[in-house]
Amino acid sequence: MRPVDLLPTSEPFPPSADLTGLRLLQLADSALPIGSLTHSFGLESLVAKEILTKKHLASFFRGYLEEAGMMDAVFCREGWRLGSVKEGEFSSSRWREINELFSALKPARETRSASSSLGDNFLCAVLACGDFPLLREALAADGPDRKRPGQMGPKRKRMPIHHSPAFGLACAVLRIDQDHATLSYLHQSVASLVSACQRLMPLGQREAMRLVWDLKPTIIETAERSRMRGIEDVSCSMPLLDWGSMEHPALSTRLFIS
Amino acid sequence: MALGACAKAFSNESGPSAREHGRLRGLLDLDFQRAGASNRTALIRSLQEPPLRVVRAFEREDGSALAHLHNVSGGVLGGDSLMLRVRLGQEASAQLTTTGATRIYRPRVDAPTAVQINEIFVGEDALLEYVPDPIIPFSGARFSQRTTIHLAPRAGLFWWEILGPGREARGEIFQYEMIEMITDIVADGCRIAAERTRLEPESGDPHSLARLGNYRYLASFYICRVGLDAKAWIAAEEQLRQVARTAAYSSDTLWGISALAADGVVLRCLAQRGLDASSGLHTIWRAAKTLLFHRETIPPRKVN
Repeated sequence: MRPVDLLPTSEPFPPSADLTGLRLLQLADSALPIGSLTHSFGLESLVAKEILTKKHLASFFRGYLEEAGMMDAVFCREGWRLGSVKEGEFSSSRWREINELFSALKPARETRSASSSLGDNFLCAVLACGDFPLLREALAADGPDRKRPGQMGPKRKRMPIHHSPAFGLACAVLRIDQDHATLSYLHQSVASLVSACQRLMPLGQREAMRLVWDLKPTIIETAERSRMRGIEDVSCSMPLLDWGSMEHPALSTRLFIS
Repeated sequence: MALGACAKAFSNESGPSAREHGRLRGLLDLDFQRAGASNRTALIRSLQEPPLRVVRAFEREDGSALAHLHNVSGGVLGGDSLMLRVRLGQEASAQLTTTGATRIYRPRVDAPTAVQINEIFVGEDALLEYVPDPIIPFSGARFSQRTTIHLAPRAGLFWWEILGPGREARGEIFQYEMIEMITDIVADGCRIAAERTRLEPESGDPHSLARLGNYRYLASFYICRVGLDAKAWIAAEEQLRQVARTAAYSSDTLWGISALAADGVVLRCLAQRGLDASSGLHTIWRAAKTLLFHRETIPPRKVN
């Protein structure tokens, strides 16, 4: 592989462990300006309906990690594998397949849209830090051709890019270890949702911190189990959260976009 | 058993029907076509291997065909491998239902997971309505279902599945071992929906708020018409949400509805009682068919 084609020319290659570690901290920071704090992914409806309360949070997030977390982890790993190819071997068709499947797996429109908005913003944020040709190619990928009744020709639309595969893809390009990338992705997604809970219910800062602290073993277990799964055989059964996200557009007062 | 393993149950298959190592292979292969210039749909071909049966297709007043799917075993036994293949030709219209709940029996300890594979092809301008009774998994049941639905341009679909917790009257609530429901819908070459439900009550508490919470019944209802634009689906989402809040309302039931990535909407129902889920689905089906197809719904004769 010619690393200069994948990394900015000013980059030392391979990047030092310190450098990749610091970059991972930044990419997985909830302060990364991609909009992750504006989404609750359906939690807002569950809280509004008084289904989810503070006392349920620990068990809820453990279940969340076993279901949605597992799916995200598997897609993060798949994105990483796609991004770790040799020069010129990036498969935009596979990238399209991965993202199309992820879209299909998200039944709720707002959650699907939130995930693709974060994925798009994430790649743009990374590209703002350096010129990474593979990420540029991934960001520019088109959606499938669809000819609609009455249209003169095929309509091309921009492909939705989802956050977890985009995170894995970027980490691979930045030479960040796959396991570390997966763990960090899960950790930041749970931390973002716990942060949403702080704004939705009386959950103090220390309680939130303790919650995320206690979830770390489940995060590790989920990341570990995700090694054994592929994107075609991962399951996700979260009907109550699906309902929450589907019902969210109908809430009269909304703090979050999703 | 990993997702998709049910497909392997039909691999290395020499014929559609066989009994090997206690695994019974059943097949129902149905071909519906519109008859000439009339608007009548007929079941022109059916391949049937027990325990799956269709006795006849009824012609209905709107020209569509109604077929009742029978399982002459009375339910799905441990190790069964069942395949349902349905084709609707151009402009055909068919409705499929069951004669009662699909019972998933407790298997012998050494029996493989029971599997059902559904392969569905809906042709251009055709309409398939699949409106079965609930699936009831008995204590210890293991069942894996894989459904792939291909929709041609302008094809229509109403497809629901209702999963119950078990034999409630016997106190069997979530005592099954594993239920897996894998569904893919491909419209005009694009995968628009993929559902990967897998419930294993012993290792993943169904009552977790991350899963079903206090609800016992789970239903998914896919409503598709290939070619309608995204704005039409957002409007349909809102209109059907109102129907769910009024006509299908029950205090112990949650209805969620959302536009798919393209060409359809999906409803999720969580209910404490199966009857609430069934009656609500019928109400929403009627409203959606009027809204999207400008046609009246004719429910299966058993609920008339």
